[in-house]
Amino acid sequence: MSNTLSRRDFLKVGGVTLGALALGQYVPAKAAREAADHNQIDANGDGYIPTTCEMCVWRCGVLAKVKEGRVIKLEGNPDHPHSKGKLCARGQSGLMNTYDPDRVLYPLIRVGKRGEGKFRQASWEEALDITAENMIRIKEQYGPEAMVFSSTHNLSQTQFENLLYAYGSPNYGTQRSLCFNAMVTAFTLTYGVEEPARNYDQVEFIMMVGRNMMEAISTSETSELSDALARGAKLVYLDPRFTKTASKATEWIPIRPGTDAAFLLAMINVIVSNELADCEFVKQYVVGCDDIREEMSKYTPRWAEKITGVPAKSIERIAREYAAAGKNAMAHPGWRTSNFINSFQTERAIATLNALSGNVLTMGGCLVAENPEASGVSLGKPSQPSYPRVSALRLDGVPWKYPLVPLKLGVFQELRDAILTGQPYQAHGWFISRQNPILSLPDRKKTLEALGKLDFIVTVDIIMNDTTWFSDVVLPEASYLERYDPLMALAGKIFIRQPVIEPQGEARSALWIYKELGKRLGLEDFFKYEDEQDYIRQQLAPLDLDFYELCQKGHVVAESDTPGNDEIVFNTPSGKIEIYNEVLANAGFSPWPTWEEPPYPKSDEFYLLTGKVGQHTQFGTQNNLLLHKYEDKPRIWIHPDPAKERELQTDDWVKVTSQIGEVKVHALVTEAIRPDCVYLTPGYGHMSKGLRTAYGNGVSDSDLHVTYTDPISGGQALSQTFVTVRKA
Amino acid sequence: MKKRFGFVIDVSRCIDCRACMVACSVENYVPINHSRIWVQDQGVDGVFPELQRLFVPYNCMHCENPPCTEVCVSGATYKDKDTGLVLVDQEACIGCGFCVEACPYDARYLDEKRGVVDKCTGCIQRVETGQQPACVTTCIGGSRLFGDLNDPESDVSYAIKNARLVQRLDYESGGIDTDPNVFYVNAPEGISSLKTSDPFDQMGKEVPRSPRYTLSEVGWKKILVPAVLTGIGAAFLVQATYFTKQLIEGEKEVDE
Amino acid sequence: MSGYQNISGKERRRLRERKIKKHNLANILTHWFNVGMWLLLLPTGIAIISSPRLGLTPEWWQVAFRNIFGSTANLITFHYTVGIIWGFVLIFNIFFGFRKYFVPFAIKRMLLDKDDIEWLKIKPLQMLGFLKDKELPPQDAYNAGQKLYMYLVLIGTVGIGSSGLVMTLKNIFPPLLKQIAQPLHFVSVFGIVAGLIVHVYMGAVFPEEKEAFFSMFSGKVSQWYARSHHEKWYWEKVQEEMEWEEQVNKQVESASHVNARPAPTKTSD
Repeated sequence: MSNTLSRRDFLKVGGVTLGALALGQYVPAKAAREAADHNQIDANGDGYIPTTCEMCVWRCGVLAKVKEGRVIKLEGNPDHPHSKGKLCARGQSGLMNTYDPDRVLYPLIRVGKRGEGKFRQASWEEALDITAENMIRIKEQYGPEAMVFSSTHNLSQTQFENLLYAYGSPNYGTQRSLCFNAMVTAFTLTYGVEEPARNYDQVEFIMMVGRNMMEAISTSETSELSDALARGAKLVYLDPRFTKTASKATEWIPIRPGTDAAFLLAMINVIVSNELADCEFVKQYVVGCDDIREEMSKYTPRWAEKITGVPAKSIERIAREYAAAGKNAMAHPGWRTSNFINSFQTERAIATLNALSGNVLTMGGCLVAENPEASGVSLGKPSQPSYPRVSALRLDGVPWKYPLVPLKLGVFQELRDAILTGQPYQAHGWFISRQNPILSLPDRKKTLEALGKLDFIVTVDIIMNDTTWFSDVVLPEASYLERYDPLMALAGKIFIRQPVIEPQGEARSALWIYKELGKRLGLEDFFKYEDEQDYIRQQLAPLDLDFYELCQKGHVVAESDTPGNDEIVFNTPSGKIEIYNEVLANAGFSPWPTWEEPPYPKSDEFYLLTGKVGQHTQFGTQNNLLLHKYEDKPRIWIHPDPAKERELQTDDWVKVTSQIGEVKVHALVTEAIRPDCVYLTPGYGHMSKGLRTAYGNGVSDSDLHVTYTDPISGGQALSQTFVTVRKA
Repeated sequence: MKKRFGFVIDVSRCIDCRACMVACSVENYVPINHSRIWVQDQGVDGVFPELQRLFVPYNCMHCENPPCTEVCVSGATYKDKDTGLVLVDQEACIGCGFCVEACPYDARYLDEKRGVVDKCTGCIQRVETGQQPACVTTCIGGSRLFGDLNDPESDVSYAIKNARLVQRLDYESGGIDTDPNVFYVNAPEGISSLKTSDPFDQMGKEVPRSPRYTLSEVGWKKILVPAVLTGIGAAFLVQATYFTKQLIEGEKEVDE
Repeated sequence: MSGYQNISGKERRRLRERKIKKHNLANILTHWFNVGMWLLLLPTGIAIISSPRLGLTPEWWQVAFRNIFGSTANLITFHYTVGIIWGFVLIFNIFFGFRKYFVPFAIKRMLLDKDDIEWLKIKPLQMLGFLKDKELPPQDAYNAGQKLYMYLVLIGTVGIGSSGLVMTLKNIFPPLLKQIAQPLHFVSVFGIVAGLIVHVYMGAVFPEEKEAFFSMFSGKVSQWYARSHHEKWYWEKVQEEMEWEEQVNKQVESASHVNARPAPTKTSD
């Protein structure tokens, strides 16, 4: 896959491609014929086909406008609760993801050394055969546990899990521990749901810890927050950086990183000490309300001021304002708050705050303790035998090292470390689908070394991303606009992802890939579906819903099979919200939300912050020409005072050094950050030369991040790395 | 009542997500090195931690008195009678770029591949089918509105009526008053001008700016037109003189 | 050599009856083709220039033509299509007959000499009624005024054609060239229009040149006209005819040796 086009030529090619969208040739694609059968497109191949976006995890409903067999525009589906007719920049750019000139469209088999990027094109037969042979060999020689499977959660996850469980490996890696393990673990323990839904209709007062909603965009939620603010709701936003959310907040608190828990605990102290909580609710639904006053008494605002740098008077005032809003207050669960080891406690404090205000109800409250994904609809699935027993330990330490981490989440960075160290046993193979661990895991050097320990690496991807670049076999998946995926249930409706154009080249859906691979592994009984459409029909079967209608409208309304509850019961052992949590106590951790001292940087060190930008999704979109067109240049933010000390101006080269690595990047001198912090634009520094637009642009913080894992939630503390900065 | 389509932008709500810019690029096949709409970052204002930051979306103002239509030699760009939108007929445009220089808002660009000028059209192809422009439909922050400013019941009229503060980036000087149809509402401290920012190579230029008239346009107007008029006038005079003489003297055969 | 005024009336009548060929068919066709194209291009071109800032043409004219053609784009398409045809035919004609017609024509007929300069000083005043007694220097096939007009048309046509091409092939040429092309096109066209005012007057209205006008249809002028207006060319033609006759005589003489017929006597005078 070597190429001689320079990046500038690329932009020209990209321009031609975009222009060529207007002049697409009509190829009577199979997808188009099906869409014609569904009355979605007319005889010319023009029309709108409903499907689901995959440019981030929010998965908005999309109406894809098709003209003569090409996608020419994507619109938000007004009927979909996650988009409500809108799409963010990434959603709008989705067709450039599909028509990216760097798409991998044919199975590839490595011919050079790993990392050289030399592949040869192969047939699906050969690629799948080689993959299966290697996987079988590893299983026979080392046991199925020697094969590691990892995938970033997506709609075909059920079948991915099916493959790995049927194969018999316990080693399942997801991106969760790099993202929101802290939140999920905390809320599962406290409320019995992974992530409570947020309702902005009546909200008057919102507390956000990190969760840069205006840049880490979840289309509908960002819109709703914007509406709430325009309506007069107040937003108190804690972040060491003046983000775009901070610019819209009523009050921005530039809190010291890693100390949010202190702030929140002090708020709880003020509320319970002054009996400002919703007494009725607390008495009825909360465990631990009797002793909470005593437990929180040590977390005074004065105490918090010393730690956080926020004046005690402000903390007190904010606590009172929060309490005064009663049920119409919301402490947003966020995703990873400050990204420190103590973020678990921060999340527990957030859960507690919400419980105290009584806004957590199963219906209609600001925070809804109900899993929005499930919404009471159970889809069917093909019949299959039970999975083989797994006796081996999981390499990522769940649960033997991390007793409280849910199996579904895992501890991804631990998995990588285990591959490297070979403890408790050596892994020999890695199956990676739709994931880029080289950039997402902290300490990139370690990840590359770990890859070197493996005999066989196979990737499923749509583009030559970094991990794909280093793999042995590449299985090309069709992009989201070209494939069927398992159905998505949301808010009482079932939504489909269906192809709007014929897959280009020989790209195939994950459902097909997993089934074909399964067949060759002797696991065909676990994949009892003919093709993607058959799988979806089997999903719809128990609900007696029409596939044709689903394809035509993009969704069908499903009757919930759990009866509406007048009684509010939480999915915890006690049936109540557990601020005081026995499970934690039994595992040897504090049963109360508690303060854990974070590390502090030395006088010449900075906190290295990370975050999100509104124009990209983690590490997957930097090659998209439309997003590249409108992105900010990746730089490191630094406050003018330390910049002056180092004689730095904007666009000077700086060397950023951590305990484990060093990068060279341009500086941005700005007032919008605490003087003791620096922030590196995330997502850049791609190593794959197969990403002709992204390659050579910016640097990756995976070269700087030290691996720190929270023992309770397994979350990676991405912001706990300290760095020095000097002029290059 | 004549339609007057325009935009209302609630400045307090724009979060610089740039969904509008991507949507516009896709909807209108904008070349990868140009843009029809922008979100202008007014920059981080103040000293840590007392900070403010404002994002101001903008595009063609669809002026009531556009300086661009004044210079178009072929009449390719015009203010549409039915909608009030300023449009370009690409088949009539020869791509000379007089209008690009004349626009005080730098809202136009020359599409090198097609050799013509292009700009925001208010997504007239969508408006005609009852949809909103692509940027308005997808605006996540709820900042952009579009509609008939002459209709008191429209979204835009309503927004203007209920706004705390209404402003426009009007350019008024030297006999030109653009009278733009993009209204900015609820800017916390008001905006008087925009500094356009990269990546479109307009860093540091302030908008609106005075219209620029190229050397060839000015030369044409001020030198060549008078010269040609003089020439034709002279030729006509000469011819008239001889003709008059001819009439006076009557037909005369040279050789009689 | 002139002194045509001294020729007797009888002689004049005789000369007037005899015709010489001045313009060949190609010239005639090209000339009227040009006229026809100009009749299409000029009004449409005037209708196209609609810049309010230049304010060159009346609005009702612009509107009328846009209504006739349906849209601005159609009007412009018509204009440049006709323009392309016009340009192509002209170039083809010149190219096709380059060596045979154009080069000799250019060398012989287009250059100004001493007589032309003299003529330019005297003739305009004479037309107004002054210098009645001054003798005009003899002129060639095209007098000095016509030669000047020829230069104007040549330069103007090149200007029109090149600038028109630049504006038509809009995705090939850079914007700066297109910006320059517009005023260049304008000044080339109206430069020629200024010349046309005189040319059409002289050719079609001014009585002295009536024969010239008809010669653009028949291709011929009378010997008298040639003798009086284009003397140098007239003598050239006479010379040509004499040489031709001599050649014929020689041929007949050599033939007569075969035929043994007495040679016919020459009856020229």
